[in-house]
Amino acid sequence: MIVTSKSAGDLNPGDAMPGAEKTLSSHDLMMYGAATWDWHRLHYDDGFARSMGLPAPVMDGQIYGALFAKQATGWLGPKAFVRRLDFRMRSMAFAGDTLHFEGQVKEVLSEDESGVVVLLQQLKKGDAIVAEATTEVRLPR
Amino acid sequence: MAAPLLSDELKAWIGREAVYPAREELGRASIRYFALAMGDENPLYQDEAYAREAGYDDIVAPPTFVVETCQYAHRPPDVHGYMGHAWDLPIRGCRMIRAGNEYEFIRPVLASDRISVTWTLEDMVERKSRRGGTQLFVTSVARYYDDGEELIAVNRETTVYQPLDGEK
Repeated sequence: MIVTSKSAGDLNPGDAMPGAEKTLSSHDLMMYGAATWDWHRLHYDDGFARSMGLPAPVMDGQIYGALFAKQATGWLGPKAFVRRLDFRMRSMAFAGDTLHFEGQVKEVLSEDESGVVVLLQQLKKGDAIVAEATTEVRLPR
Repeated sequence: MAAPLLSDELKAWIGREAVYPAREELGRASIRYFALAMGDENPLYQDEAYAREAGYDDIVAPPTFVVETCQYAHRPPDVHGYMGHAWDLPIRGCRMIRAGNEYEFIRPVLASDRISVTWTLEDMVERKSRRGGTQLFVTSVARYYDDGEELIAVNRETTVYQPLDGEK
């Protein structure tokens, strides 16, 4: 049995996505780098990061895209199709930082055979926004 | 007044393309590896029967996998270990940071897909920086095509080159 997907009719502007938090260690960043065939030392090598004047390995901004998409599809279900994801970096984060997710429904659009939900998502470190996204997801009506 | 970052030499790079023909199918192992790295236990990414019940023809890739993996690249790793697409622009004395990405997805990406990638250097713009001086915004677009040459995803990426001098 597959998990039930949300449909566009279930959602309204202002609905909050479930919050979550995740601490990303050097090990997590190493795994993400390896799984994306990106072995840049900046994202897992502590000594290399310090030699560049940084306190710790830098989170690869790309991983925020994957985290935003995971939050959206985890909430909306297996029939959700992410059709657009625009994300912008606002401040740096480093290995060992804990990121908090927030998100809400901005609008619900109706299209021919499906609905589209537009989400506003944020990743924060304390009060600082690390990255924010506008995510469009197609759903059954 | 410092020399402009956007020199005539650099302007000539606008419009350049880099083409990476598909080497192999994305494959189930690559997809499961990415899902494991993300701590994502969604069965769509590892259980074919589940993916079919949800309406897909094969194991599905997590949404951003296709635009984040460097699996397509045909380059040896550079001195820092990076092996994805890079322009290697003739810019000295700057650090490069990522400003943002706009991903567009046309259809779900499947384990059986063979993906070719074309990168285009779309634009370069020099803008004032909040710290004084200027910084250079470089916008590149990657287009991902399947075996039938159908476009399946687009990644518009903006990076910023910030001069290192005058920081201290």
